[in-house]
Amino acid sequence: MRVELQHVFKSFPHNGETLDVLHDITVVVEEGEFVCLLGPSGCGKSTIIHLIAGLERPTSGAVLVDGRPVDGPSPSRIVVFQDAALFPWLNVLGNVEFGLRMAGLPKAKRRARALEFLRLVHLSRFTHAYPHQLSGGMKQRVAIARALALQPDVLLMDEPFASLDAQTRAVLQNELLEIWQLARPTVIFVTHNVREATGLADRVYVVSARPGRVREVERIALARPRHAEDPTLIAHQRKILGLLGEEIEEVLREELGEQVHFPEAQHPVPPEQSLGMHI
Amino acid sequence: MFPPGYTFLTWQALVMFVALWELAAWLAPGWPSLLGEVLPVLRSDVADPAFRQALYGSARRMAVGYSLVMLIGVGGGILLGRVPLVDQLLGSVAVAIHAIPGAAWVPLSILWFGMTEQAVIFTVLLGAAGIVMVETDTGIREVPPPIRRAARTMGARGINYFWFVVVPAAIPRVVNGLRLAWAFGWRALMAGELLTSINGLGQRLNQVAKSQDLDRLLAIMLLISAIGIVVDGLLFKRLEHEVRVRWGLA
Repeated sequence: MRVELQHVFKSFPHNGETLDVLHDITVVVEEGEFVCLLGPSGCGKSTIIHLIAGLERPTSGAVLVDGRPVDGPSPSRIVVFQDAALFPWLNVLGNVEFGLRMAGLPKAKRRARALEFLRLVHLSRFTHAYPHQLSGGMKQRVAIARALALQPDVLLMDEPFASLDAQTRAVLQNELLEIWQLARPTVIFVTHNVREATGLADRVYVVSARPGRVREVERIALARPRHAEDPTLIAHQRKILGLLGEEIEEVLREELGEQVHFPEAQHPVPPEQSLGMHI
Repeated sequence: MFPPGYTFLTWQALVMFVALWELAAWLAPGWPSLLGEVLPVLRSDVADPAFRQALYGSARRMAVGYSLVMLIGVGGGILLGRVPLVDQLLGSVAVAIHAIPGAAWVPLSILWFGMTEQAVIFTVLLGAAGIVMVETDTGIREVPPPIRRAARTMGARGINYFWFVVVPAAIPRVVNGLRLAWAFGWRALMAGELLTSINGLGQRLNQVAKSQDLDRLLAIMLLISAIGIVVDGLLFKRLEHEVRVRWGLA
């Protein structure tokens, strides 16, 4: 399904003042497209996800899915959260079955469907484990299986791999791409990791902070799986990091209340030497 | 069966307790020896059918009282947490009831029910239901936001949301309330029996105190303490621990 944010503004009351989180955001994601929203912390990326999920409403502007305004949550738009947000009282199978149960699927059917998607994320051996017994990466696998089992048209991912170690993250990114190419949902993936965004997305929206605005849209027209040393990919990453360098300065200046300046083109770790490149 | 690292009572603690007791008995004239005097009295008491009647009586009243506590405490807590009108009308009443110690309900219970079994059960109920209500109320209001968001996007609403999300999310709080309620209820039971002269452990305590039978008094107190510790340690502490581990809180 096509997802569209048209001139979206969002503000929250905060300590008696109004905090502008999103400022005139326009994002268009075509059906089946994989789009990353990339920006520093506090740029309102998660708020965009919540708006599309129907968990929040825009202060002004329109959020359209398949041409219709979003009116509350729907199982056709599923979120994978950063902290997985599994239900601790249910085992892995129960967590994956949850949405199907809410949809009123009979027991045998939802069990079969849950097992199918657990196989897809390589967790067949852990169906009876409880979330507290799983590692961070395994929890995210469950969260992905839980989302995919509902066969959503739009998969919203809110920094799903941010708290994982670099190796686990790389493995899960590859698996996510494989799964996406099977079912081809529309994916909107939020991250603050430049390499992650450029490795995954068809297009990267670079979002600035306070309030969040779209700074740039970068199209990555490279076949997947993408090679980390591909010069075109590195050129994309350099360009985005350049944009974000200014961004980070602005955020720091606002926080510290004084002039903070990074010497030009001198990022803490050169892109080709860093696995993570968090900003 | 036990959570790892969990020991109900260590033998070191038991040895220490017995040693200190015997030391006190040796130093203070008139203080009976635990092993030589108090425990033999306890053993003969427990073998005595009349004493067993008292013990069963206490157990029965506790069982009935605690069942009511669970029913009314959890039910009332759910109403307080879910129905704003009930909360506005009765929320502060629940807190007020919770603030009154169990023993302070005994006179009113006697006034209403006389020196009866019902008066004791009523004391247990009012002494312990408040904490269950307050904890259940808090638990069902405090669904963690990530859980709430995940549930809502997956289509949980209305009765499904309540039954499959709110209730399980509240369980650690409810269990904590039930554990405290056991301790409050046990105290209230003893106070009730002490003052109503209903055949039970509390009333036995009153009798032996009047006849100045120190050995027997200490024996009954030991028994009261032991029952409290054993039920809490073997049942509630374990239950609470397992719930906390499962819910990712420990």
